[in-house]
Amino acid sequence: MNNIVKPAIILALVAFVSSMVLSHIKKITYPSILKQEKEKQERALAIVLPGYTVGEQKNLTLDGTDFTYWPAEKDESGKMIKGYAFIASSPGYSGQVVSMVGVDDRDTILGMSILQQSETPGLGARSIEVASSSTFFGTIFGNNRGAREETRPWFQLQFTGLNAKNKINIVKKGDWNEALKDELASQNAVSAITGATITSRATIKGIEKAIGLLHTALERETVEAAGKVTNQGGAR
Amino acid sequence: MNYWQEFVKGIWKKNPILILGIGMCPTLAVTTSVSNALWMTMATTMVLVCSNILVSLVKGFVPGHIRIPIFITIIATFVTVVELTLNAFQPAVYKALGIFIPLIVVNCIILGRAEEFASKNSIILSVFDGIGMGLGFGVTLFVLAFVREILGANKLFGLTLIPGMQPSSAMIIAPGAFFTLGLMLWGMNYINSRKKD
Repeated sequence: MNNIVKPAIILALVAFVSSMVLSHIKKITYPSILKQEKEKQERALAIVLPGYTVGEQKNLTLDGTDFTYWPAEKDESGKMIKGYAFIASSPGYSGQVVSMVGVDDRDTILGMSILQQSETPGLGARSIEVASSSTFFGTIFGNNRGAREETRPWFQLQFTGLNAKNKINIVKKGDWNEALKDELASQNAVSAITGATITSRATIKGIEKAIGLLHTALERETVEAAGKVTNQGGAR
Repeated sequence: MNYWQEFVKGIWKKNPILILGIGMCPTLAVTTSVSNALWMTMATTMVLVCSNILVSLVKGFVPGHIRIPIFITIIATFVTVVELTLNAFQPAVYKALGIFIPLIVVNCIILGRAEEFASKNSIILSVFDGIGMGLGFGVTLFVLAFVREILGANKLFGLTLIPGMQPSSAMIIAPGAFFTLGLMLWGMNYINSRKKD
């Protein structure tokens, strides 16, 4: 009997102490983690909808998939222009590639930002790589003057200006550079990451799926709003 | 002298990766860049030293047949502490290492040292053993990541080495890690076999 009770008590004691320690650590770190998540989302919203005032986040389930979007507005010389930000997600090479995309009312992409990915480092993970022309030796010897620093990943920058409603194509031209810009724009295409076509395709697939969901959500919203107006009219 | 021996054995004579052959999963997975390797080393060493201290502390009370679940609970607690701390204060590192932080729990180096060393030796010896093993793990990871980041990404510490050169992507994926590790093993065994003669 003693052979069972004593080990059980010791094990329970260890588990108790361990969960006490963890709950304290969680309490200390939780506000900081929460703050970071919020900051991350706000930063992403500012990237995908530059200059827009973003409204409240809306969550809904359409055809069995969860969908999150934000309506937004921008005042352009007295006229209010509508825009939307939404979350797009699609399975990549390893795990989901989750991105946030901003579009205006004609479905032109204003910006996109990959929020979460677990692709292969050096290949698919280059979707979040920021192009930099500063080099290792340059940094050591301090002659990096004139080096151009981008602040956003080149793969994500390509999406700005494309039409999300039409099919987004993929071309294999290597890393994006300024010279490719016109050619890509005319084909409504992005240049895939070398060796990571699956990741590039997944990102696009996610956007295509999500833009469809956005339109369904908006239509439903208009129908509901119209329904409300007629109901109110009838009551009066 | 004894302390010194327990400390340095982890670096060469009993190097956890190259001689004991344990802890391979993080070794192959996170050595794509030098900074990842260094953060992984720090996180693992932290957990290793803390768990060694605690295991050595409770070794008198733990009944033999339930020691493994108790050791694992202790290790898992420290790993979660490290995970939460990194998530809160080093989000970039947390994002880069991803799943490999919680996987420190099943890193054989930590359980191996708890079982083989800390549960049989004094606290101070266990601390020295933990730091030495962590350092051995770190040096191996650093060399591996150094080679892989230069050849596989044409970078060092995230900075481009030769502008415009296309790096070999074979080095950045798993086979590259195996090649490099194999060469390191060959080099180590070569030196050791020369010593004996």
